[in-house]
Amino acid sequence: MATSVYLSNPNVTINSVDLRDQCTSATVNYVYEQLETTAFGDTARKFGGSTVTSLQNNSIEIELYQSYAGSETEATIYGLVGITTNVVIAPATGVASATNPIYTLTGCYLESHTPINASLGELSTITLTFTGGVLTKAVA
Amino acid sequence: MANYIVTSTRLAGFKPGDILTDADLDGSSIEALIEGGHLSTQTAKKSAKTKDTDEKE
Repeated sequence: MATSVYLSNPNVTINSVDLRDQCTSATVNYVYEQLETTAFGDTARKFGGSTVTSLQNNSIEIELYQSYAGSETEATIYGLVGITTNVVIAPATGVASATNPIYTLTGCYLESHTPINASLGELSTITLTFTGGVLTKAVA
Repeated sequence: MANYIVTSTRLAGFKPGDILTDADLDGSSIEALIEGGHLSTQTAKKSAKTKDTDEKE
């Protein structure tokens, strides 16, 4: 029987800070840029190949509840804009394993942040996009 | 190498009062952690020696 993933308690660490209890959404995008290698004689377009290595172009999107309390969301995120850091995402807490792979985006860049994103009667949330960096997957 | 003391409960893998070095935070922005209240550059100081001020008879 096929299995599906239900994330209820994933590991979300930004700049070594555990923000799991403020997080409602996380998306890891693992990308190698597409390089065309089509040449004369080919009858269809080709991309990449065993001798062609393109650049990674990874990103992580995270949605957090905003909080201005000490050591919470705003205090943690505000100083990261315009610099690089590490983001760690895993399906669950605990050690890395085949069923709990830990994804680390090392040296990713946070270009922007919305310190105030509020509407009357709603909890304030922020959406962060970390771009660039090298993505590694640990299973042990 | 500088030492830092953990000041929040959110630093992954550490608890308040732990003493860290740059190597423990490899890849993380220490400046942002200090600004965010997760770390302090002040380490616990030894208590001063007390001097017996009781008058001796």
